[in-house]
Amino acid sequence: MPSNPDWVKALKPSGPQGSELLAQERAKSSLNVDQLADFLFTRQVLERNERILKILQAEPVFDKSQNYFRGREARIEAALARGKRLQQLSVQHKWSKEEFQTANDLVSEPTPYGLHASMFLVTLREQGTPEQHKLFLERAEAYKIIGCYAQTELGHGSNVRGLETTATWNPEDKTFTLHSPHLTASKWWIGSLGKAANHAVVMAQLFVNGKNYGPHPFVVQIRDLKTHEPLPNVHVGDIGPKFGYNTMDNGFLLLKNVKVPHVNMLARFSRVDPNTNKYVRPSNPSLIYGTLTYIRSHIVLQSGSVLARGVTIATRYCAVRRQFQDRDAPAGEIGENQVLNYTMVQIRLLPLLAATYALHFTGKGMINLYQENQKRMNGDVGKLADSNRAPGPEELNPGTDLLADLHATSCALKALGSTTAAEGLEVCRRACGGHGYSSFSGIGSWYADYLPTVTWEGDNYMLTQQVSRYLLKSARSVLKGNPPDNDTTRILKEFISRRDIGAAFDVIGSDTDLVAAFAWRVSFLTFEALRHRDEDKQSWNSLLVDFWRLSTAHAQYMVVKNFHDALNDPNTTQQLDPDTVTVLHKLFRLYALNTLEQEASEFYSSAAVTVRQITLARTKAVMKLLEEIRPHALRLVDAWKFPDWQLDSSLGRYDGKVYEDMFYRASELNPLNSVVFDPYPDSKVLFRKDERANLRSKL
Amino acid sequence: MADFTYRLRPAEPQGPSILASERAGSNVHVEQLAGHLLWRNDFLQRQKRIVAILERIPIFSKKNQLNMARPDRYQLGLARAKSLRRLSIEHGWDRDDYLMADYLVDEMGPYALQTSMFATSIREQSTDRQRAHWLPKLERWDIIGCYAQTELGHGSNVKGIECQARWDGHTKEFVLHSPTVTASKWWNGALGRTANHAIVVAQLLLPEPGSDTDSDSPAAQDRGATGSRSRYKSYGPHQFIVQIRDMATHQPLDGIVIGDIGPKYGYPAMDNGYMLFHQFRVPHSALLARYSGVDADSGAYMRPQNPAVVYGSLTFVRAQIVMHARLVLARAVTIAVRYLAIRRQFADRDHNHDQKTTPGPAPEQAVLNYPTVQIRILPLLATTFALHYTGEAMYQLYHGTREAIERSGDFSRLAEMHAASSGLKSLCTTLAADGIEICRRAMGGHGFGGASGMIALNNEYLSKPTVEGDNWMITQQTAAYLIKRMTAVAQTLGLAPKDELDLQFQEYLAVNANSNTNGNGAGNTTATAPTPSTRNFDILANDAELVRAFRHRASHLAYQAYRARVVEKKPWTSLMINLHRLSRAHSESLLVSHFHRAVFESSAAGADLDLDEPTLDVMRKLFRLFALFTLDASASEFLLSGAISLQRLQAVLPTVQDLMAQVRPHAVRLVDAWSVPDYLLESALGSHDGDVYNRLFRRAHRDNPLNRWTFNPDWRSEEIVMGEGAENARTRLDALALGLDNTGYERSGLATTTKSKL
Repeated sequence: MPSNPDWVKALKPSGPQGSELLAQERAKSSLNVDQLADFLFTRQVLERNERILKILQAEPVFDKSQNYFRGREARIEAALARGKRLQQLSVQHKWSKEEFQTANDLVSEPTPYGLHASMFLVTLREQGTPEQHKLFLERAEAYKIIGCYAQTELGHGSNVRGLETTATWNPEDKTFTLHSPHLTASKWWIGSLGKAANHAVVMAQLFVNGKNYGPHPFVVQIRDLKTHEPLPNVHVGDIGPKFGYNTMDNGFLLLKNVKVPHVNMLARFSRVDPNTNKYVRPSNPSLIYGTLTYIRSHIVLQSGSVLARGVTIATRYCAVRRQFQDRDAPAGEIGENQVLNYTMVQIRLLPLLAATYALHFTGKGMINLYQENQKRMNGDVGKLADSNRAPGPEELNPGTDLLADLHATSCALKALGSTTAAEGLEVCRRACGGHGYSSFSGIGSWYADYLPTVTWEGDNYMLTQQVSRYLLKSARSVLKGNPPDNDTTRILKEFISRRDIGAAFDVIGSDTDLVAAFAWRVSFLTFEALRHRDEDKQSWNSLLVDFWRLSTAHAQYMVVKNFHDALNDPNTTQQLDPDTVTVLHKLFRLYALNTLEQEASEFYSSAAVTVRQITLARTKAVMKLLEEIRPHALRLVDAWKFPDWQLDSSLGRYDGKVYEDMFYRASELNPLNSVVFDPYPDSKVLFRKDERANLRSKL
Repeated sequence: MADFTYRLRPAEPQGPSILASERAGSNVHVEQLAGHLLWRNDFLQRQKRIVAILERIPIFSKKNQLNMARPDRYQLGLARAKSLRRLSIEHGWDRDDYLMADYLVDEMGPYALQTSMFATSIREQSTDRQRAHWLPKLERWDIIGCYAQTELGHGSNVKGIECQARWDGHTKEFVLHSPTVTASKWWNGALGRTANHAIVVAQLLLPEPGSDTDSDSPAAQDRGATGSRSRYKSYGPHQFIVQIRDMATHQPLDGIVIGDIGPKYGYPAMDNGYMLFHQFRVPHSALLARYSGVDADSGAYMRPQNPAVVYGSLTFVRAQIVMHARLVLARAVTIAVRYLAIRRQFADRDHNHDQKTTPGPAPEQAVLNYPTVQIRILPLLATTFALHYTGEAMYQLYHGTREAIERSGDFSRLAEMHAASSGLKSLCTTLAADGIEICRRAMGGHGFGGASGMIALNNEYLSKPTVEGDNWMITQQTAAYLIKRMTAVAQTLGLAPKDELDLQFQEYLAVNANSNTNGNGAGNTTATAPTPSTRNFDILANDAELVRAFRHRASHLAYQAYRARVVEKKPWTSLMINLHRLSRAHSESLLVSHFHRAVFESSAAGADLDLDEPTLDVMRKLFRLFALFTLDASASEFLLSGAISLQRLQAVLPTVQDLMAQVRPHAVRLVDAWSVPDYLLESALGSHDGDVYNRLFRRAHRDNPLNRWTFNPDWRSEEIVMGEGAENARTRLDALALGLDNTGYERSGLATTTKSKL
């Protein structure tokens, strides 16, 4: 890259320097950042992150400086090299699963080994018999075979029962034939399949003696272990560039009558008896159901930190960036106003800042509940079998009442959390103004890589149906007078008992009333939907929009409740200074009141609040909270403890050297500036000079 | 590469037959509607003619774009820009033809500024003498230009830019200088690698009379402006035309540093640049002096005649942005509607499936039949038309205003146009940008894929909410204007209304007058604002009432803002959120009004062709859908302003669902009417014939360069491409890591075999 002349090197940004502005910001607040960070993540985890960061930064292969400039092929290559190095380091340092995950989070891009390390191993572990563990899992754990999980097809995603790939049992030679009868049967989107994997767990419709038993998992070798070329009758490749996730080789796979031995059908829950040629039913499918609940709870927790990255970048930049003089500034006062002082910027960023904390506490609350429940459940495994189901996870009935409640909640929260994070990131990007559009903002690519979460592990809109189905069922049980005891039925009962008395919640003055108003709205919408379905006999499809709103309302209630519970937990008050608790409490109120104001018409329709209260929330309460939180904004994002290396952002640097870094990346890291172009239309030559070849020869 | 996959077909039913039956199920007159929407400048014929030319030229193929690295995309962009220019000459294209080709190629390329901002500045800001000098060079493309206003530290606030142009009375030159790194020009299109001339916007500094100008010797200036003893006064930002690169070597001139600013969310083919000056001298004639200038003898400043003219061209850019937004959104909606009509997922839960007559699982439903999909897509379909009619109205307003200025020096409508264009730019680009992303997500997994055609669309268009005036910042302009107008109406009893806005505000105040102490807001100093009386417009039965409800809500917010700012003197900053809402409410009211006028009043804006009754009927439903959906999204503002009652609000969503069910059968034909060619859609999901799955597969399988490589996945080996050897992989990846690789083709002999097939 060309180096800058001395007169350019000597230049500084004008006015107060970014580093000074951030220092002043940090001085405005006495919030104890380290204490808050320890409380959120624990000291132990933070120290571990620092240790792993040092290891990664020392490795040239993880150097990020060219990431934003590369094309798809170069990115995949670099990602493969990084994936290899991560695995080597993992062996060398004997990393635990959490440590390996931390390393991946810090590198912040998917690698072609991503699905091997997650879904392939998990599926072999959870759905394989001990014999299959020995045969497949042990080799997979040693990376002797590289695998992926091939469920989704070109023509079918969420609806697992509609898969077209077939696996037909051959009684004569005790094998299965896997086959793709149509083009739409092609496996599609499968991570690690396109270029990296030599094995796949293939979900296929099982046919035994002409009868279809639904989708089941089969281990299929797809590439030669030596040449890595596809095996005969296997057609496999990468599906091409995507919105994001371009370091992952999402792939397609077509099979033409490929035979696998009997042992390749993962048989922990259901199997074909090779002697009788009979299908043997699944024994305990609700375990899978639990896994999904667990995965979704993690998505909720993760959504908080995903969003926090965008909020960190935008908040720091908006504290450094100054634009226009305050219209009401006294005549003598010169200099432009920090953008973060504008209420139109605050109203976009500060509720999102509150949401990062809200989602974090909600995710943690969910995971705790899940773990407690698992302990309880382990006592009565086996009582839960239900033999009338195919093992598509979406179609299972609840195992226990508590798990059902947890499962419905996890669906609702996954939809809300991932939508909030994805949309919030774009709000953050736009709040950065023009520079938000630069790759160096670090938000655009992060958003693009996160987006699949909105549709995977249950499409956010599809999930809302499951939530509503559960809420309707609970409401029916409350009306019949035989409800199971859980939070959902409690709020529904409360609503019924006060329906004819009225609510009158003091949402501005009382936190418990604020939470209760959210519960009231959910209950109101639930019984409304129930009336439409059961009394008016409206079709399921015609109610989908109501269900979507209902599920969103339920999730918002859960977030507000979890945030409130977390603040009132004795642990919290023990570990944090009272001042910090006060600020967190303001964040809670901002999240709740801002949400209430956004959804005002539903709160008003349900008679949870009056028009006057909404007006007050809008004009007084929210505005006051913005003003009160504003001085702490920078420290509140600091507490998320993202290293600069992970953010990879000019705008979000901890030290505020925004403009220096933008200029450095543009002028010194940018390969385009090594090439001198010919600009004239009538000349067919593109280059007048290309310095890259010279520089390359010096390597 | 023939293999067994070539014989496979998608499972039934096939996309093309689905779209055929969709098209058979509607009586919307596609050609008529297309002509109604796209009559201006012979758009449809022109589009057809130019697509046919571009499609045949390999360099305009878009299929590999998403695989390419940024530096390669710029090269391709430059090659295309050159080619378009040569095609213009070869085919005798006029300016509209050239713009059409540019629109179809669909990337912001390195010549984009030459024909827009660079040319506009020379035309509009130059003296006749300057024009005579520069225009022929511009038109012959002897010079390649750009427009350098925005800086690293300053965007929307033009007054704050730091680049200086200091007048040196001794040599009769201006000295361009960048005192800080934040003074660096930044984001300026075509500056990075392409342009050899630039319009530079800099603070004009003139010596104060009586200061010691002798110190303006070159030696003193080397110490920089602050080292000089003379005092300077700033006259604000002015435009200078400056040669920035050597015409023979294309290297930056001495005293100038230029480069490309690096990759962005989108715009990969554009070399947005940075530029710094070090005491760089330009002649007196560099200052574009049509409206203001510096006297070369005395160094005195000559005032601009009418400063408003300066923002005239920016206003035009904003008017065009609205027209462009409708076509962008129409593209996203076209892809979504076609694909979602074809895509099937899950059987209907209430469907009584008779296993005896039709064995096997119940048939899956078209995704477009789900109300949760409809409520995302169909209101956006309606929005494309709403944007269209407002774009037409803005177009007329712009030309009317411009004509009035040029013919009779009448500037009276400029403020209105500017205010309307700010709010509309903000709202329309937000609607389109968010709409693209809503469409993309509604398509599920395949929407995330490169073959959706939505990736580049999203990437390119997402610049719009923050360029040409940030969407949040510029709403202040609209709000300030509305407050001014409301103040006039509220404080002048019996003001003779000069336009619809006066009438609208007067009507609002007349009804709410009983809450005011003396019938005019100025005298009312009580702390609490009057509660609006509930008008409860009959929005469900009467379309005109629906329009009035939007106007009422906008008037209410304008009145509240007037009270807060003018009567109660609240700080501007504390009101910004309300101001943003006011601008949005007013702009939505404009969209609804223009749409209503176009489909309910004959001979309204933009129609040179009447629609037949069935088509018009569908358009009226789309109007209701747009208006009611928009109302529902801001329901609390309508409630709080008293425009509607809670009871009416509760009937809105069922009505919206009902309207969607009525519009649903026409969806495919309605998007057909937007006539977006497959070449522009560049989408396997949205092509006109509906052959979705064959196209998706072909792109992955045959058009994907990654599948030419076999990788080595074993983590113990450093080899990346199978058989290349660890050492080779290391050198290659080092070059990659340092940004020194040329193209993917260098990796092996494959380059020659692939190239030879061309």
